[in-house]
Amino acid sequence: MNRTLRYLTPILILLLLFTFAAITPAQDMAELELWYHGGTQEENDETRAQVDRFNAMQDAIQVNFVELAGSLVAGTGYNDAVNAAAVAGDLPCILDLDGPNLYNYAWAGFLAPLDDYMSDELRADILPSLIDQGLYNGKIYAMGQYDSGLALVGRVSLLEEAGVRIPTSIDDAWTLDEFNDALASLKALESVQYAIDLKMNYGAGEWYTYAFSPVVQGFGGDLIDRDTLSAEGVLNGPEAVAAMEWIRSLFENGYATLTPPDDNEFINGNAAMGFLGHWMATGYYEAFGDDMVVLPVVNFGARQATGMGSWAWSITTQCENPDAAWAFMEFMLAPDEILSITNVNAAVPGRFSALAMSDLFGEGGRMNIFVQQLESGIAIPRPITPGYPAVTSAFFTAMDNIIKGGDIQTELDAAVDKIEQDIADNDGYPVQG
Amino acid sequence: MAAVELSSLHKPERKQRSRRRSLTLIIDYSIMIALAAFFLFPIVFMVVSSFKPEKVIFDDLKTIVWAFIPREITFENFSSVFRRVPFGQFMFNSTFIVLATVSAGLVVNSMIAFALARLRWKGKTLVLSLVIALSIVPLDAIVVPLLVLVNEFPWIDGSIGWLDSLHVQIVPFIADAFSIFLFYQFFIGIPRDFDEAAYIDGGSPFAIYRRIIVPLSRPVFATVAILQALFLWSSYLWPLLATRGEASRPLTVGITSFYGQDVKWAQILAFASMITIPVLILFLLFQKWFVQSVAASGLKG
Amino acid sequence: MSAPALIGLFLFVAMPLFGGVYWSFTNKRLISPLPTEYIGFQNYQNLLGLLVVRVAPEIDEATGQIQMNLEGNPVYPRTRTVIRGDPAYKGYRYWFTADILGQRYVVIARDPTFLRSLINTFLFVLVIVPGQGGLALIMALLVNQRLRGRYVFRTIYFSPVVTSMAVLAIVWTFLYNPDQGLINRFLSAITFGRLQPDWLVSADSALLAIIILSAWQAAGFQMIIFLAGLQGIPQSLYEAAQIDGGNTWQQFRHVTIPQLRNTTIFVIISTTILAFRLFTQVDVMTKGGPQDATVTVVFHAVDTGFRQQKIGYGSAVTVLFFIIVVSIALMQRKLLRSDIELE
Repeated sequence: MNRTLRYLTPILILLLLFTFAAITPAQDMAELELWYHGGTQEENDETRAQVDRFNAMQDAIQVNFVELAGSLVAGTGYNDAVNAAAVAGDLPCILDLDGPNLYNYAWAGFLAPLDDYMSDELRADILPSLIDQGLYNGKIYAMGQYDSGLALVGRVSLLEEAGVRIPTSIDDAWTLDEFNDALASLKALESVQYAIDLKMNYGAGEWYTYAFSPVVQGFGGDLIDRDTLSAEGVLNGPEAVAAMEWIRSLFENGYATLTPPDDNEFINGNAAMGFLGHWMATGYYEAFGDDMVVLPVVNFGARQATGMGSWAWSITTQCENPDAAWAFMEFMLAPDEILSITNVNAAVPGRFSALAMSDLFGEGGRMNIFVQQLESGIAIPRPITPGYPAVTSAFFTAMDNIIKGGDIQTELDAAVDKIEQDIADNDGYPVQG
Repeated sequence: MAAVELSSLHKPERKQRSRRRSLTLIIDYSIMIALAAFFLFPIVFMVVSSFKPEKVIFDDLKTIVWAFIPREITFENFSSVFRRVPFGQFMFNSTFIVLATVSAGLVVNSMIAFALARLRWKGKTLVLSLVIALSIVPLDAIVVPLLVLVNEFPWIDGSIGWLDSLHVQIVPFIADAFSIFLFYQFFIGIPRDFDEAAYIDGGSPFAIYRRIIVPLSRPVFATVAILQALFLWSSYLWPLLATRGEASRPLTVGITSFYGQDVKWAQILAFASMITIPVLILFLLFQKWFVQSVAASGLKG
Repeated sequence: MSAPALIGLFLFVAMPLFGGVYWSFTNKRLISPLPTEYIGFQNYQNLLGLLVVRVAPEIDEATGQIQMNLEGNPVYPRTRTVIRGDPAYKGYRYWFTADILGQRYVVIARDPTFLRSLINTFLFVLVIVPGQGGLALIMALLVNQRLRGRYVFRTIYFSPVVTSMAVLAIVWTFLYNPDQGLINRFLSAITFGRLQPDWLVSADSALLAIIILSAWQAAGFQMIIFLAGLQGIPQSLYEAAQIDGGNTWQQFRHVTIPQLRNTTIFVIISTTILAFRLFTQVDVMTKGGPQDATVTVVFHAVDTGFRQQKIGYGSAVTVLFFIIVVSIALMQRKLLRSDIELE
């Protein structure tokens, strides 16, 4: 059997070859890995450019930009990769994460608090909504360059043709009845196929929670009770049921389609209106110019509510050089850098000083509605709990089932059961450390 | 009279038979063409559309015929793919993973199959049953423990943890229970007289494996190679979890960058076409040989 | 000689499997700061817990009569009230209702999704094994004839096999789009707009859509195996049958089918095993929805064990799955009395 060795040799040689691929030359400068979720192409390009700028302006720190695929439509691609790395102890130094997921990571001990790094000056300049989003258990674990904006978008020409009043600020937003009438009149227009693009192409995932939990809140329900963190009676109460009935009616009445093929239904003119996430605003404006109008979210009766919170940067506890990581974050949080990304993705700049410099968002700016929504408190953060992954998954699964024909009460009850089961499975998410 | 009657009887019968034959021929071809349309339309649509601007793809969908005709040809989608992702790197990774795993796998799996099929040793039946049982385990179902496990393994360069590398996509898949099973089945079919003659000549088991079994078993080697290559070429969940960087990700994970927030269907279709066409061409070139190998390998049972 | 393969199988298949068995008795979580505890068979109980509850109609307190709704049917209490009202039902969720002989029964389960995944997976296997196998056999018979262009047809039928499922699933999602997809455009053209399934969007058709894609993708592979089998049949058998005056059908019935026996057994067993693994297309296209219509056992294992971070629980799904598939494979081998038995 000695001759077996002769046949093992090629394999060993092969294995050795891989080794060369794995060895990287040692360097003096601090090398940090950064994971980015991959947004729109323009966003990706700009973020990559920012990393390049940081690497070029100094030679002590080298940030390696890694873009991981598929966050919204594929739904779970980015989170899958992050979870896999977390369990393997292989997280990068700098991690991009979607706001509400941070509570789970922070609870599990994978994120380093940023409080000691942040100067009072910096802290005071950051939008309160961003601070709230980054806080878990009294410490800040993530900081975004921008906050998100969610509103409605329409075309002046079409709205006028349909005889619909055009609200100009959050104070004169449409009521539910007005909105229903507007949708009916817009649908009747010859030039469009349906009334509103709800971005269902993003699929059952975070988009549902981000965009439609404000509707539930507008009707008086919520995902969970913000104090007790229990979902019973909140997510499956009569208010939430009414909200779901209304959402489903949009599809049943033909005001919206469940299956838009891509992100361009509003631009193509198939839909008269759209849900406006900030990341689409630039493209829309390029397509329609002054004909495009940003409309405040509808007042559904109980309250006016919209989504907030966006992707943010964090430093993981597996990072060997957190100081260098913070140096990079500090660079990214400089007002100039904030504006360079928000000019591309039309998100709300995360610092007051940057906001003041922005034409888009300043007083009278085209996107000023987003700022109004954040400052007036109608933008509601997604539940601040380590159980958030279970909450959002229960909600978007239930909603997906409902709009595709499931029984509303049964589905919402099931969502509540899943949330409660998750809390029980985790011993109530006791605060650590 | 009688003869005339007979032949006149025969003629229409023969005519009928040839008419029936051409009828079956027409039916056969119609079914084959219908099936071909069914099997080909998504791929033709994918390839044709990948040459169209995104907007044209949607416009052309309104009429079925135009969906398959490239009336406006652009290479923009392909150049966008190359601009957005390192397609060449992905292609290299995929190809390298497949070649390395398959070549190592052929040696390793055929050797154990030989030992199981031709040698007498203690615990052989037990090992064989285990191999068959393990061939049922779907990779997707054991990814989490496998991930934790390979993360603890040392590598030759002294580092711990295999994640985000090419070898993490190669080494775990070299030994493959199903391949062993196929080899085993073929090897038990080779007459034993050959071995015995060789043993009398003083050959070691390994010499028999190399000089007798391997040369007689080319078809099964080809079949196993193709099956493993197809499996590896399309693997998805494991590389998604075990790799992150462009340096180690394969094509199947690479395409998900296009299926993210900003869906550009034209680019997805271009990417998909570029993954599919090379393999199709390879198959077209080798298909006769492939069918023969499968036929001879005993995969037929 | 066996060593390298045995080491490989042990390290990368058996060890993860044993790890899974071990974890299935714990509450191990993916990224939790809480300690992992041994919890016995709790995960298995949570997976399989199933109860049938007879629900009595509401009684009108004033009259003592059964309450009736406007259509004259008895009014039943909400299942949730029943479940929450009895501590014995703690942890159970509503699955479905059945009215039998004027009695209302409610079936409650601890994990209705898992039970549904079992049903879906079996359904998928039961449809795909004969369906895809039959299609493959027909194709093999067609392209086995000495017809012009047979190599072209073989290549065409085989082409989806060489394409990665993750890629195809993305492309087919596009084809299945109810309004703009190619498939419904085509159906609309040949049925004048009468047949417009919602495909992946509806719980009624989603699994069918997955089945069609799966059969489409893999049938070419079985075709090649059948083709190999057909070419292994000695021509002399057909000649003998012709001399006996057998027509084409009789030749097929008495020569082809018996001669293809082993091939068919191989195709059935391998398709069954592969079909049980259904995952990628579900993950890319539907994520198990809508309303669990396409959730499969492997998907549920990955979903609970990885995405929902309950490694222990997901491992229990895997272990049950493994037991089921091994026993079915053994049963199949016994039933088919295959020659590819152990020596």
